[in-house]
Amino acid sequence: MTKAFLIDLNKCVGCYDCQIGCKDEHCGNDWSPYAKPQPDTGQFWMHVLEEEHGARPHVKVSYVPVMCQHCDDAPCMKVAEDGAVYRREDGIIIVDPEKAKGQKKIAEACPFHAVFWNEELQIPQKCTGCSHLVDRGYPISVPRCVDNCHMDAIQFGEESELDLTDTEKLHPEFGLNTHVYYRGLPKTFVAGKVYDPEIEEVIIGGFVTLRSEDESWTARTDAFGDFWLRDVAPGDYTLLIQGGGKKYETPLTVGKKSIGLGNIPVA
Amino acid sequence: MTEKMANGPWQEPETTIYRGMACGGTGGELSAVDSKDGKVVRIRPIRYTDEYTMDELKDSLWSFTARGKTLSCPVKTAPPYQTLAYKKRIYSDNRVKYPLKRVDWEPGGDPEKVNAQNRGKSKFVRISWDEACDIMASEITRIREKYGENAVLAVGEDGHCQSKLIHMVGGNHINLLMRTGGYTREVRTPDSVEGFYWGAKFVWGAQVQAGLGMYDNGWNIIEDVSENAQMVVMQAGDLETTQNYASQWMSRVMRFWMDIGIKLVVVDPFCTYTSVCHDEITWIPLLPNTDVALDYGMMYVWLTEGLYDAEYVRTHTVGFEQLKAYVLGEEDGVPKDPRWASERCGVEPWTIKALAREWGKKATTILHYCGCHVRGPYSHEPGRTEVYKLALQGFGGPGVQQMHLFTYGGAKQQIRATCSGPFLFSEMHAMQFMPADQQLPRTLIHRAIQNGHAEWWGSPQIIFATRDDQFEKYVYPIPEDEGGAEVHMLWSEKPCNETCWNGGFEFQEAMRNPKMEFVVTNHPWLENDSLFADLVLPVTTPVEEADVVGSGMGDSIEVAAIQDAAIPPVGESMSDYEISLAIAERMGGKALADSMATGMIDGEMAAGLTIAQQQRSEFERSKVANEISWEEFKKHGFYIPKLAKNWRKLKPNARLFYEDPESFPVDTESGKLEFFSQELLDNFPDDKERGPLAKWIEGGSEADGWSHDETLRGERAKKYPFLVNACTGRWRFHAQCDDITWHREIPTAKVKAYDGYLYEPCWINPVDAEKLGIEDGDIVKVYNERGVVLAGAKISERIQPQSVMVNKGSRSDPIAPGFDRGGNINLISPAGPISKHCYGFAVSGYLVAVEKVTKEEMDGWVKQYPEAFERAYDPASGSHYAGWVEGVE
Repeated sequence: MTKAFLIDLNKCVGCYDCQIGCKDEHCGNDWSPYAKPQPDTGQFWMHVLEEEHGARPHVKVSYVPVMCQHCDDAPCMKVAEDGAVYRREDGIIIVDPEKAKGQKKIAEACPFHAVFWNEELQIPQKCTGCSHLVDRGYPISVPRCVDNCHMDAIQFGEESELDLTDTEKLHPEFGLNTHVYYRGLPKTFVAGKVYDPEIEEVIIGGFVTLRSEDESWTARTDAFGDFWLRDVAPGDYTLLIQGGGKKYETPLTVGKKSIGLGNIPVA
Repeated sequence: MTEKMANGPWQEPETTIYRGMACGGTGGELSAVDSKDGKVVRIRPIRYTDEYTMDELKDSLWSFTARGKTLSCPVKTAPPYQTLAYKKRIYSDNRVKYPLKRVDWEPGGDPEKVNAQNRGKSKFVRISWDEACDIMASEITRIREKYGENAVLAVGEDGHCQSKLIHMVGGNHINLLMRTGGYTREVRTPDSVEGFYWGAKFVWGAQVQAGLGMYDNGWNIIEDVSENAQMVVMQAGDLETTQNYASQWMSRVMRFWMDIGIKLVVVDPFCTYTSVCHDEITWIPLLPNTDVALDYGMMYVWLTEGLYDAEYVRTHTVGFEQLKAYVLGEEDGVPKDPRWASERCGVEPWTIKALAREWGKKATTILHYCGCHVRGPYSHEPGRTEVYKLALQGFGGPGVQQMHLFTYGGAKQQIRATCSGPFLFSEMHAMQFMPADQQLPRTLIHRAIQNGHAEWWGSPQIIFATRDDQFEKYVYPIPEDEGGAEVHMLWSEKPCNETCWNGGFEFQEAMRNPKMEFVVTNHPWLENDSLFADLVLPVTTPVEEADVVGSGMGDSIEVAAIQDAAIPPVGESMSDYEISLAIAERMGGKALADSMATGMIDGEMAAGLTIAQQQRSEFERSKVANEISWEEFKKHGFYIPKLAKNWRKLKPNARLFYEDPESFPVDTESGKLEFFSQELLDNFPDDKERGPLAKWIEGGSEADGWSHDETLRGERAKKYPFLVNACTGRWRFHAQCDDITWHREIPTAKVKAYDGYLYEPCWINPVDAEKLGIEDGDIVKVYNERGVVLAGAKISERIQPQSVMVNKGSRSDPIAPGFDRGGNINLISPAGPISKHCYGFAVSGYLVAVEKVTKEEMDGWVKQYPEAFERAYDPASGSHYAGWVEGVE
C-alpha cells in the first residue's frame, strides 16, 4: 500500500487554492501527534512555485506545487535520530513533532526544500498528507490541497490506481524514488510573431525550424503569425522561418530560459 | 499506522455549517465552515452529495454534450480563494472588536471639539456600546434639528459586501433613519459596468436588471458557446481574477472550451492570470483605455474586406451609414484603418488585421465579467463599440454572444432566482435601494460636500434605470421647502469610497471639511474611510451570524441554504442589522426596534421577530417551500431546486432577437441595435464627448470644455506619460481581503521593499523600467496633480510599455493630505465624471507619472511625517490597528 500524489499542471490555473488550503488546515490548528501548527506566513508545506517565462507578447507563467515528495529513500529519515521521521504503512512520511524537537538537520536534509524549521517551536515541519483527515475519514478523507483544488488538478490515492502515463517526477536525478507525480512540468519554449513589414501583415502557416546538427524542432505560425516551439533543449541553433515567399534565418542560443522573440520581420 | 496514533483532539468532531460566503455579496458557491469550541477550524468546498444522494440530485444538476464532450454541473463547489482563506478575515489583526471613538472628537458640533482637520490622522479609543448608542441617537437628533431632517447622509449599498441576507449590509441605517425622520441617500452608481450603462444602453437598451446595459441573455449561453463558437475573445476581463466575486467555476468552463477546440484570445494591457496559465491562449497587448481605437481598426478591416454580416445589419440595426462614414473617414477625412488604430492603441497593424480577420470569419463570443475597459474616461465609447462589433458579426446568432457575470449559470431552475441569487429574499433590512427625497450619486459625494451643491444627469441608480432616465437633471440640495438640506453627518455601511470610487484624495478632503460634524462607519475592519471617521462601529463577519445565504449569481448552479452562526461574534461586534436595532431602541424604544424586525408568522405579518423566526419567515415566503419541507431544509442546510422542465429548450434571449427582431425587439427607440442614437442627439445636441455615434475621444483641456485629458496623445501626457491600468487585483476583492496574510505572501500580491514594508505592486515593463532607472523591488511613486501614491516596482513582461498596472483596492495608509503609502491608486483617479452628462466614475486608464523613490527622498519623508511613518505596522497582514487605536497591546 503506497499513497501517491498526481499533479496535472495542464489543469492548473495558478489560484493557490492548494497552498491556501494547506495553511487553512495547519496554521493555527494543532493536529498532534501528526503535526504541530504551521507558522502563519513564510513557510509552505504546500508551496506553489511561480515563474514567468518568455517576453511580450509570448508570456506564460508556470505554477508548480511542491510539497514533501514522500521519498522511498528520504534524506530526512536518514538524518533523523530517535525515529523522529517515520514512514506510515501507506507510505506517507511523518515528522514526529515531539521526537524531532531540536533536530534542525531534518529540515536541512531535504533537497526539495519541503521541510521547514519552525524557529518558535524548534521543530522541523512538513506535509503530513493531511493524515489526520485521512485516518479520521471526516469531514473529508483526502489532503486539503486535493480537496481545495477546483480543477481536480491534484489527485491523491493508491499509487497503483493512479493513471501515471506521461508523468514525470521532480529532480529524478536525486534518485530518491519520490511519490509525487507531475504532468505538464514547465518546458523551455521559443516563441515569436512573424510578419511581413512591407505589407504589414502577419505570416500565417509559415514554417519555423529550430535546428542544430543533432536536433530540430518545427512549428507553423498560426492565424496571428505566432509560433511556439516547445520543449526545446539547451543548445546553439539556427532559427529558420519560411513563409509568404520570404525567408529568415538567424543563429539562436537557447539556455534554460524560455525565449520570446516578439515581432520578427521577414523581408 | 492509524491504530498507533494517540487519541487526541484531532479525533474530535467539528460542527459544520454550509454557507455562501463569497465577498461579492450574492452568496457565491457554498462552503463548509467547520468549527469547534467557538473557533473556526477550516473553510472548505462542499460536495452536494454530503447531504443528498445522486439520485436525489438527478433532477437538479444539469449537463450537456457539445462537440463530443460533456460538461456537467460540478458536484463539488468551487468557492473563491477569498472564501477559502476567510479565516484570516475573521481573525484579522485588523478586526474592530469594540466601538471606537476618535480621541479628539466630541459630539455636539463644536468645531473646536470636532477637529475635522485631524480625520485620517488622530487615533481612536475603545468605548462601550452604551456610549456609542448614546452618541448615535443624540447626534442624529441634534443634526436633524439644527440643519434639517435630510442632513444625515446614509452611504452604503453593496456594503462591505460580505454575503448576507437577513443581516445584509447596505441600508440598515436607512431602515432606522426612514422611520425616525429624513436622510440623504447615497445612490449606488453603475460602478462595474459604467461604459455599458452610459453607452451600450443607447445601442441595445437597458438590458440585464433593467439598466446595467449588458445584454440580458437568459439561459444556456455556455451551451450555445460550447456548441457554436469558434473563438472566445476576452477583450478586458480576466476571468481567473474577476470570477472571485462568487465562484471559480468558469475556470472549468474555459478548460472545457479549449479541450473541445475553441480558441481563446486575451486582448488586454496586462497578460492576465487567465492568459498566462494556458499554453493555448493568445495574448494581444494594448494600451489601457484604447479599446475604441482597436475596435475601429478592426471594423475598418471588416467593412473594407466584407467581413461582416451585411444582411443582419440591414434587418437588425439602424445607423450603419453613419458608422460606415466614420470608419472609412468619409465624415472627418480620417480613415480608421489599422495603422490609425495602431498609433492609438499600441497593437501593431498586422496584429489588428489578423485579429479582425479571425473575428470576421469565425463565430466569436466576447467574454468578460464586466470588463475594466468600461471603467475609464469616456467609457461609454468602448461600451458602445463592443456592441457595434457584435452587431456587425450577427449578434445572437450561433456562438456570437456577449458573456458576462449574469451568463455563467448552466441551466434554468424551476424556482426563478431573485436578482441576487439566493432564493430567499424578503426579510432583508438593508434599504439603500429605497428612493429618498434627497439623493447623491456615490461618485459625487466628495464634490457635493466640498461645494455644497451638485448637479447631474440621470438618477444614476445602478439597476432599474432605463435610457430616458439619463435625460433627467437632478440637483443637490433639493429646494428647502421640499426638505433640502446640506449634509453634516455621514453614516457609512461601506467605508471604501476612497478606495473603490473616484477622486479618493478629494473624498479624504471632504471628510476633513469642518461642515461634516459627525462621520461614523460600520465596519468589521479598521481601514480606508473608517480611518477618517469619528466613530467606528464593529460589525460581525458572516460566520458569526445565523442567516439564509445560499449561492447565486456567477455560480454553476443556484442553491438555497440556511445556517446557524458558526462561532460567536468576535469581540463585541454586531451585524449592521443588530446595530440599527440597538440605536433604534435608544431613539424610539422597543416599539421602534420591533417595527424593524418584521416577517410572516403563520401567514400574518408580525413584528419584533427573532433571527430564527425570520429564517422561518424567509423560507415560507419563498418558493423553496414548494419543493422541500422546512424540516428537511433545516436538516440538510441547503437545497438545490429542480431544473425547469423545459430548460433544454430555452434559447438565449439574443437568439430570439437574431431569429425574429420584429417579434423580439431590443429596448431602443427603433427596437433595433442602434449604431447611431437619435435620442442622444436630440437630448444632448452639443455633447462632443458622448455623441450619437461612439467615437475615439481624446478630450482636452477643461477650458475647451473637455472633462478629461487622459490619453498619451494629449497635453498632460507630457508630464504624466503612463496610462495606469487599475483593474481589480487578483488577491483581493475590490477593497476587501487586502489583509489576508496567506494571500499577501503570494509573489504577485505585494512587493517587499528594503524598509520591510509590503507595497502594492506597480507593474512596469522592463523597457520602461530601464528608462526610469527602476529595479524590481524599488519603492516608486505613482503620481499626477491629484496626489502621490507609493508602490513597489514589479518589473514584468506581462505589461505593455507606456502603461503601468496598480490594481485598485489596496488599503490606504495616509501619510499626509495628497500622499499615501498604501498603494490605494483610486486616490489619484479623476475626481469628476466619465463625461459631461455621465456622472459615473473613471478609475482606470488615466495618466500618471512613475519615478523611483530614492533613499534620500524616503528619509526626508520619514523625518517630515514621523507620526505616520512610525505607526505600528504588521507587514504580514498590512494592518495598522495598533497604530490607530490607543491602548492596544
